[in-house]
Amino acid sequence: MNRRGLTLHRAALGLAGVTGLVYAAMLASLLRDGWPLLSWRFLLGLPRELEAGGGVAPEILNTFSMVMMAMAVIAPLGLAVAVQRVEYGRDVWWTRELDRWSRVFLSVPGIVVGLVAYRVLVAELGWPVSILTGTVALAVLNWPFVAVSAGDALAGVPESLREGSLALGTTRWQTWLFAVLPEALPSLVNGLGLAAARMIGESAALIFTAGVNVSPHWGLAAPGETLAVHLWYIRTEGLMPDATGQAAATGIVLLGLVIALLWASQRLALWLERRH
Amino acid sequence: MSQPPAIRVADLSVWYGAQRALTGITLDVPAGQVLALIGASGCGKSTVLRALNRMIDRVPNVRWQGSAMVGDTDVLGPAVDVVALRRRVGMVFQQPNPFPFSVFDNVAYGPRLHGIKHPARLRKTVEDSLKQAALWDEVRGKLRRPARALSGGQQQRLCIARALAVKPQVLLMDEPTAALDPLSTAKIEELVRELKGRYTMVVVTHNLQQAARISDWTAFLEAGRLIESGQTGTIFTTPRDARTENYITGRYE
Repeated sequence: MNRRGLTLHRAALGLAGVTGLVYAAMLASLLRDGWPLLSWRFLLGLPRELEAGGGVAPEILNTFSMVMMAMAVIAPLGLAVAVQRVEYGRDVWWTRELDRWSRVFLSVPGIVVGLVAYRVLVAELGWPVSILTGTVALAVLNWPFVAVSAGDALAGVPESLREGSLALGTTRWQTWLFAVLPEALPSLVNGLGLAAARMIGESAALIFTAGVNVSPHWGLAAPGETLAVHLWYIRTEGLMPDATGQAAATGIVLLGLVIALLWASQRLALWLERRH
Repeated sequence: MSQPPAIRVADLSVWYGAQRALTGITLDVPAGQVLALIGASGCGKSTVLRALNRMIDRVPNVRWQGSAMVGDTDVLGPAVDVVALRRRVGMVFQQPNPFPFSVFDNVAYGPRLHGIKHPARLRKTVEDSLKQAALWDEVRGKLRRPARALSGGQQQRLCIARALAVKPQVLLMDEPTAALDPLSTAKIEELVRELKGRYTMVVVTHNLQQAARISDWTAFLEAGRLIESGQTGTIFTTPRDARTENYITGRYE
């Protein structure tokens, strides 16, 4: 390696170190403020508006249920789009447009989707600001992501595998189900895990659709504040005296959930791959 | 086992869109014998092969003229059931392409999808196919191992076993040893000689010695046209056409 390359290498290493330090500092402040509040009471209790010592149990439940419901809708839908596109798709104008727009939709800010969902579902159709409305917003926001990542997973399956199966006298559908899908499964699982993690962290699309309140009774029409929205709410409007600690502790729980989810989905993907 | 079919390709032309890939190819392979297709890259050898099991259908805007009889069926006819045809006409590819399953499940893939559910029958089919592909001695007791853990040469024989498991009558091989070392190549060639008689085979190869060693008939293609075909001994010792002679003596440009 020449001297110039070495200098650039060191500069990159230095920048990486700085980035690492910034993250470490954020994590340290989160742990310093939030760790003392973490307890079963915090995890299993109801939030409090004006006193200290509230919990996040409904937020955890809302986050889980909304992400799962949105996932249950968009995983098959996204996969269907990907199959249509990769396995049966011809390169004609409307599929190219579909591709382009799904990539455009990937970068639409959550707040825009939230406002559109609010306008249509709440203002026009009279749906309550609720778990169901929030789930729809989550699904609309993340559907392109799932479609694109599933499409990439299927496109990553080599053509030779499809031909190997078709050459044995199997139908296209059998080939997809029994050869292509098993091959694509690890990357599919990875993509779905990433999508779920994105949804867990989503706040902007949910503020107007799922709301900033919780109900002690879970229901589709009940208000559905999630962990991420709760965090935003405490930091902007929270009146409880332990707001800083509450926010930090909520952040730790949120971070823990995302890490656990990504870890689990990656383990699953790795296990599926090892079975080959 | 029933007698394998003869193959008669008559005046076959193929276009990929506006591009002409084959022009008026006429070829005969007697039942149970081996035809080697030789020629430079892009000369249309693979297209001939892929016409015989209708793999060319996968290319958008493909068109063809002429006929290709496998036994009594014109495989290029409009009423042909392509899926059923591919059960009769098996194919082995240049790169070994095992599925992401165990050795057993790879070989059982075809039979299972064709409705063989009974475990004992399935096991028998898998064992017979692996024996026919000369792989049984190396994988017995390891049938549950991932197929991709096998060596390249073993994977290719596994792909042959996988093709044999659906009980085809014809075997098409598209440069089956191009990705293999000399030892594995020798095993595949030995295998082709053993399978001769039970299957009618068409082998595309860039390896001229291989063509001379394994085939009964050889056809030389250039730019989508058949230059010369005949018995392998004749083609390699006394070719009629100067272009064939140039190619087999390495003066091809």
